[in-house]
Amino acid sequence: MLGQIPFGVADYFWEEALQRQELLSSLLESFRRWGYGDVIPPAFEYAASLGAQASAGLQAEMYRFLDRDGKTLALRPEFTTPVARLVGTRLHDWPMPQRFCYAGSVFRYVDPQAGRQREFWQAGVELFGAASPDADAEVLALTAEAMTVAGLRDYRIVLGQIRYFSGLLAALELTPPQSEALRWAIERKSEPALADFLRDTPLRTGQRQAVEALPTLSGGDIQRVIDQAERHSLNTEMHRALVNLRAVVDAAAGYDILDCIVLDLTEIRSLGYYTGISFEALAPQSGFSIGSGGRYDDLVAHFGPAQPAVGVALGVDRLLLARQRQSATRSALRPTPPHALVVAGHHPAAMAQVQAWRAAGYRLQVEVNGRDLAAVLAYAAQIGVGQVLAWESGQFTAYRPNADDLFVASPGKIFFDD
Amino acid sequence: MTNNATLELETLELETDESTESRPPILFALPKGRLADESLGLLARAGLSVPVDTGSRKLVLPNADRSIGFVMAKPWDVPTFVEYGAADVGICGLDVLRESGRRVHEPLRLPFGHCRLSVAGPVDRPDTPLRYASQPRIATKFPRLTQEFFRQRGVNAEVIGLSGSVELGPVLDLADLIVDIVETGSTLRANGLVEIRTILDVQAVLIVNRAAYQLKNREIQAIIERVRAVI
Repeated sequence: MLGQIPFGVADYFWEEALQRQELLSSLLESFRRWGYGDVIPPAFEYAASLGAQASAGLQAEMYRFLDRDGKTLALRPEFTTPVARLVGTRLHDWPMPQRFCYAGSVFRYVDPQAGRQREFWQAGVELFGAASPDADAEVLALTAEAMTVAGLRDYRIVLGQIRYFSGLLAALELTPPQSEALRWAIERKSEPALADFLRDTPLRTGQRQAVEALPTLSGGDIQRVIDQAERHSLNTEMHRALVNLRAVVDAAAGYDILDCIVLDLTEIRSLGYYTGISFEALAPQSGFSIGSGGRYDDLVAHFGPAQPAVGVALGVDRLLLARQRQSATRSALRPTPPHALVVAGHHPAAMAQVQAWRAAGYRLQVEVNGRDLAAVLAYAAQIGVGQVLAWESGQFTAYRPNADDLFVASPGKIFFDD
Repeated sequence: MTNNATLELETLELETDESTESRPPILFALPKGRLADESLGLLARAGLSVPVDTGSRKLVLPNADRSIGFVMAKPWDVPTFVEYGAADVGICGLDVLRESGRRVHEPLRLPFGHCRLSVAGPVDRPDTPLRYASQPRIATKFPRLTQEFFRQRGVNAEVIGLSGSVELGPVLDLADLIVDIVETGSTLRANGLVEIRTILDVQAVLIVNRAAYQLKNREIQAIIERVRAVI
């Protein structure tokens, strides 16, 4: 056992770790440019808080354990609930709206798949205290920007409005098993299951037509989908859902992201959690969704005064995987080499020069084993460093490993090829 | 050694093929074995041109206009290929799909591969409800569905996973009951077993990757419509 790691976690190192860290930084950097402030919730907290509104599925995937006083704790399975708890309990009197962004790992007891271990990484944003379509559009646009920042050129955001379906369920006045049957058929896009539902459930003509039309309410032609859905609207909740969706699309138009948006009013995965728009980000290189988000106006009220909220969480592991496939490059299985190795003893003038270069952004690795130039050149060749700088009579001279004749730079002139 | 050499040669062939011809826009995973002929027949009737040479050792077979590539896969692997998006569309049995628990869309059921997943036991088994047994031993190729079926009845079954000849379980006293696919029941009878209860009515099903359903919606809807027209 000693030296092994448990199933479901991974060591990231060298280039792979670097790319991961750089992606996290550039995502956070984008989020900050939109006015989102950093938040770092704890890695574990009370299971009851984390499970406040979690689906049965997510509940089952949480890592739970006992604190020494017997209280049940859990590792965070996502960031939205901890951030909502923070806003609800401690920041409810700070002026709204409040914007938060985060990046870090989350933990779920699931079978590793599609680049995801049981510890996997998420980056995302939450926007509290704004119920407007403008807020929804901002999060959609920020999702699109994050996909671009992550280097994905070809992606789609599948956008739904959960109220249309929940309004329909209310209008149909179904028993719980009937609702479940309809929901199952729609979630799986199963025509025979939908046919079974229609056969087994007594409905009036208008109700029946609304159910029959559901499978057609998706596609990239946003106006057509909304117009068609409007024809089958049975109550004010369904109507309001469409008015809201139209307003979100209008507000998103200014961000020039409508080309990558596909509507799908049968996108109902998180019924019971989302309260308005919900969406998934997809890329052709990944069979799994890369990010998901939506409006969740009921969550903060579990912890404090109710606040409308909307957010998105991106799967960093899947972003990396999709990007890797899109560019058809594999990360090199080696550390990123420094620009040069330095052999200088610890001569003060040499160290001052090294510090100046480091401050200018060059990666320099100083020899600390006291080896001579020949040994350091051999080491440089092994680890793929192109240059060794040796302190000789008061100045640095550059040597290149692997060359028949050692390249000697003109005095004081060092070459950093980037 | 000779074996190795042939293997390398084939891999080489494949690589050159794949690198010069890009992946077809749609990849369709078909099950080898029991459902293969009927799957191919259905697609042919639907006007989705099907590669003739399915005996070929090439792994991806493109149709005439290269709009669809077909992969012949082990039936149990079809839901996996499709959930991961390695294939966009697939055909498999409902038994395999439910046992796999893979999350895919399943727009159509197909008119073949009809059978049942059933609990069966020895003919001389006393006629008592399954939930009376405290911890029955059950041999099956479907451990997940079996566990779920008995759990719903409050029975903690001891599920014994086998990969074939499940009927041997009770014969050799490895198990009290079996859960297996039943078509006509003749295999059961031959082994002194009788069907007790149906867990799942099985038929072939068309499945689609969730992301591909959105990203390649036009192509996939075209396939669904053509198949729907002939079932």
